[in-house]
Amino acid sequence: MSQPLHLTERDFWKHQSVRKIWDQIVPGEPIETLPHTLTVDEIHRYCRAVGDLNALYFDEAYARKSPYKGLIAPPSIHILLMFTCTPINYYMRAPGTINAGQSWSYNVPARPGDTITLHARALDKFIRKDRLFVIHDNVFFNQHSQVICSGRGWTIRPE
Amino acid sequence: MTQTFETVDAGFTITGGKFSPTRETIREFCEASLDHNPLHLDEEYMKGSFGKTTFGGIIMHGMTHFGLMTKMLTDWLSPIGGIHRRLETRWLIPVKPGDTIQPTARVRQKKQTTHTGWIVLDLEMRNQRGELVARGESLAEFPPLEHSAKAK
Repeated sequence: MSQPLHLTERDFWKHQSVRKIWDQIVPGEPIETLPHTLTVDEIHRYCRAVGDLNALYFDEAYARKSPYKGLIAPPSIHILLMFTCTPINYYMRAPGTINAGQSWSYNVPARPGDTITLHARALDKFIRKDRLFVIHDNVFFNQHSQVICSGRGWTIRPE
Repeated sequence: MTQTFETVDAGFTITGGKFSPTRETIREFCEASLDHNPLHLDEEYMKGSFGKTTFGGIIMHGMTHFGLMTKMLTDWLSPIGGIHRRLETRWLIPVKPGDTIQPTARVRQKKQTTHTGWIVLDLEMRNQRGELVARGESLAEFPPLEHSAKAK
């Protein structure tokens, strides 16, 4: 079965016409999201990209004996989840989106095989130093409705 | 001596590994994160102006800082029973292929609340010129030993 577009599209210029621009973003309005089942391959690809080869993410036998009782994903896996759990028209994919900073709180770890859902919205938007800012509010849940992590991001929107 | 919550004092410093982004590592991060923003891929696009900002070439994902800082913190915390609970970062200067960056964290404060212990850390990411390219703040939890086996 072929993978859905939001997991495979590398050209962020495509579909740009269906993404909201800063003028259209309504703080407080939930954005459309998609559940995603996290695979061990996705976790490992992410870990290798940041050089994080902790045995908790790679060694099943080691992880089983740890307090986590099995393989987990690193806390920062939300970097990937932000794109696996949002459709191709999500404005975070707009070319020129500049990430200014983020803060995240971590509760339970994501694990391979978890089906993860995202609740997300823009929380605020403002103009500062002639730049268009949006504050983003995101919470990821696992299939047991446990919070995995919650985060707030600041982006400068393309004009 | 094995570190514990009790033996870590304010001022204690952790140093993470050095990271030297290249076009290849940035492309690898694109594939791993599904973030294919042309800021990280398209040299021609990046010669342009972004409002008041001109980058002059592709830049590393800001979230790579997040991943590198997280690795530094979890590598230190996991063996001593600590749990990474929070990370906040601000990106100050773009990082480009050819740069070498390295994170550090310094314990600012220890606090015991009703049920558990906490450590607040100040984080920095500096490049090969010693410039501060990102800064952050982190919070780690140290549950009492009888609870640590239930670490989330």
